[in-house]
Amino acid sequence: MAWVTWRQHRLQFLIGIGMLVSVAVAALATGLPMHAAYHRDALSACLPPTARSGCDIIVHHFQTEFGNVLRAVRYLVFFPALVGLFVGAPLVAREFEQGTYRLAWTQTVTRRRWLLSKTVLLAVATALGAFTLSALAMWWRHPFDVLEGRMSPSSFEVEGIVVPAYAVFALCLGVFAGLVLRRSVPAMCAALVGFFGVRLAVAKLLRPHYLPARHDMATGLTPDSHSHDWVLNNSIVDAVGHQITSGREDLAILHARHARIDASEYLLSLGWHRAVTFQPGSRFWVFQGVESAVFILLAAAIVLATVRLLQRTPS
Amino acid sequence: MSPALQTRALGKRYGRGWALRDCTLTIPAGAVVGLAGPNNAGKSTLLDLAVGLLAPTEGEISVLGRDPWRDAGALGSVGYVGQDAPLYRSFTVGEAVEFARATNVRWQPTAAHEFLARLSSDRRISTLSAGERARLALGLALGKRPSLLLLDEPFARLDPLAGREFLQMLMDGVAETDATVVIASHVTADIERVCDHIVLLTGGRVRLEGNVDRLLASHRLLTGASRPLGRISGVREIVRRRHSGRQMTLLARLDRPIVDASWSVDRIGLEDLLLAYMTPEQLPTPRAHEKGPLRWHG
Repeated sequence: MAWVTWRQHRLQFLIGIGMLVSVAVAALATGLPMHAAYHRDALSACLPPTARSGCDIIVHHFQTEFGNVLRAVRYLVFFPALVGLFVGAPLVAREFEQGTYRLAWTQTVTRRRWLLSKTVLLAVATALGAFTLSALAMWWRHPFDVLEGRMSPSSFEVEGIVVPAYAVFALCLGVFAGLVLRRSVPAMCAALVGFFGVRLAVAKLLRPHYLPARHDMATGLTPDSHSHDWVLNNSIVDAVGHQITSGREDLAILHARHARIDASEYLLSLGWHRAVTFQPGSRFWVFQGVESAVFILLAAAIVLATVRLLQRTPS
Repeated sequence: MSPALQTRALGKRYGRGWALRDCTLTIPAGAVVGLAGPNNAGKSTLLDLAVGLLAPTEGEISVLGRDPWRDAGALGSVGYVGQDAPLYRSFTVGEAVEFARATNVRWQPTAAHEFLARLSSDRRISTLSAGERARLALGLALGKRPSLLLLDEPFARLDPLAGREFLQMLMDGVAETDATVVIASHVTADIERVCDHIVLLTGGRVRLEGNVDRLLASHRLLTGASRPLGRISGVREIVRRRHSGRQMTLLARLDRPIVDASWSVDRIGLEDLLLAYMTPEQLPTPRAHEKGPLRWHG
C-alpha cells in the first residue's frame, strides 16, 4: 500500500515540500536580519525591559520594526487546515467521484487496511511536515518569545507539538468528511468548518482549564509582570472582590477628573485594585502536551469512526 | 466442489424500490454464465452484492463459500471488472499493473503480462481507447488468478472488433485457470457466443436460470392454426403466444416431446429465447395521459 499511497499522493507531497521550502526561504530572509538585530542590541540582557535604563526603548524599537513580519507568522495556523482540505478530503471522495472505488475495494486488500494504511502514511508525512514548519516558526519567533513569552494563543498555536497534532486531526477530519459526503469540494468545506469549529471550541473552552489558573491581586492598577503569561482575565475589583464594570470604572475616572485628583490614586483609595487570572508561561510544554493529546485522541476517534463507517456503509 | 456463487432469497432495496428481490440461484464452479436482462433488471446490483460493494437487504449470498460483505478477505480469488472498466486515469499502464500487484497477495505477473504485452507500459490510461482500457482492466483481474471472474457490461463501450478481441482474451485467460465467469450484459448476442449457463433477470427477479443446452432442449416454438388453447400434451408452460392472421405461434417449455401433429415444432435460438422471456406477456396498455392529442413540435 505504500507504493499506492505514494503514487496517488505524490503531487500533493511535492506541493507540500514546495510550500515548506518557500516558507523556509521566507523565514530565513526575514529571520536572519531580525536575529542579527536581536544580538546587536543585546536584547537578551534587557529582560525584563526595566532591567536597565534605555532598555524599554530598545525593546519597543525592536517590536515595532519586526512586528509586521510577526503578524504574518500567525497565518501559519491555516497550514494544518489546508492539509486536511487538500490531502484528507479527496482521499475517499475522489474514489467515489471517479468510480475507482470499484477498483480499489475489490482487490485482495481489505477496505479497512486500504483506509488505515493510507491514513497512517499520510498522517506521518503530514506530521513531519508540520513539525518542520513548527520548528521554523520557533526559530523565527525566538526573539519575540524571549520578549513576550509564547503562552498566548497567537504564538502557542504556531509553535511546538500542537502544530503536527492539528494537522493530523485536520487530515483525519477531511478523510471522514470525504467518506460521508462522497464529493471532494463539499467535503473540503465541511472539513474546514469542522476544523476551525473544534479548534475554536478547544482554545476557548478547554485550554484555559488544562491546569487551574493562577490568580494575582496587584496592588497597583497596571500590571506589567504578566508579559510572558497567558492572561485570561484582567479586571478591576473592589475590596470584597466584586468585579467593577467598565462603565463604573469610567464613571469613577470621570469623577476623579472633575475633582482634579489623580485617577489611579482615587481608585486605590476606593479600595479597588486589579485582579489578573492567568496561565503562567512556564506551563507552555505541559499545555502543548495536553492540547496535542486532545487533538491526537480526536483524530484517532475519527479514524475509528471512518473505518467503521467504511466497513458498514454499502457503496 | 462448492458452487462458485450461491444466493438464497437475496434482496436489495434502494429507498422504496427493490433492485433485486427473492433471488435464489446457484452457479456451478467452472461455468461461463451469462447474466442477462434489460437495463435496471438488477444485474449490476447482483454483481455488487457478490463483490461486497453492497450489503444485502435480505437473504444470503456466498461467493466461493464465503460471505463477501462480512468476510473482508473473501475477495482474494474473485476478479471483478466494473462497468466502464474503472481505472485511475492519471496512472500509466505500468502503474496500473503495479497497483494490482501491490493490492493483491496472489498476484501473478506472468498471467497478466501475456495479456498486457500489447499495451506499452508508459502510456497514460486517459489516452487509451475503450477497447484497450477494457483489456487492461481484464488483464488486471486475470492477474489475480481468480477462481471467479465477474464482468459488468464489459462490451458496453466496445465496437464489434474490440468486443471480439476482448472475448478472445477472456476465453484464453479463463481456459488456463478453469475460473467461473459471470458476464452481465443487456445485449443477448454477446452472451450467446460464449456462455454455457444463463441467469435471466427481469425487474429484479430471476426469470430464467439454467444450463444453455438444457434450456434450448426444453423449449420449442409451436406453430399452428389459431384455436382456443386447452392443455397441450407435453407442454409444461406457455411462455409467450403470438397471433398472426389465422396462425398462432407459441413459445412453450416442454417436459415431454410434442406428439400432437397439428403443431409444427421448431427449435429456438438462445437470443430469441431470452428476448421472449424478457418481453412481457401483454404489452402494458398506455395510460390516460399518454393518449392526449398529438402536438406539433416544429
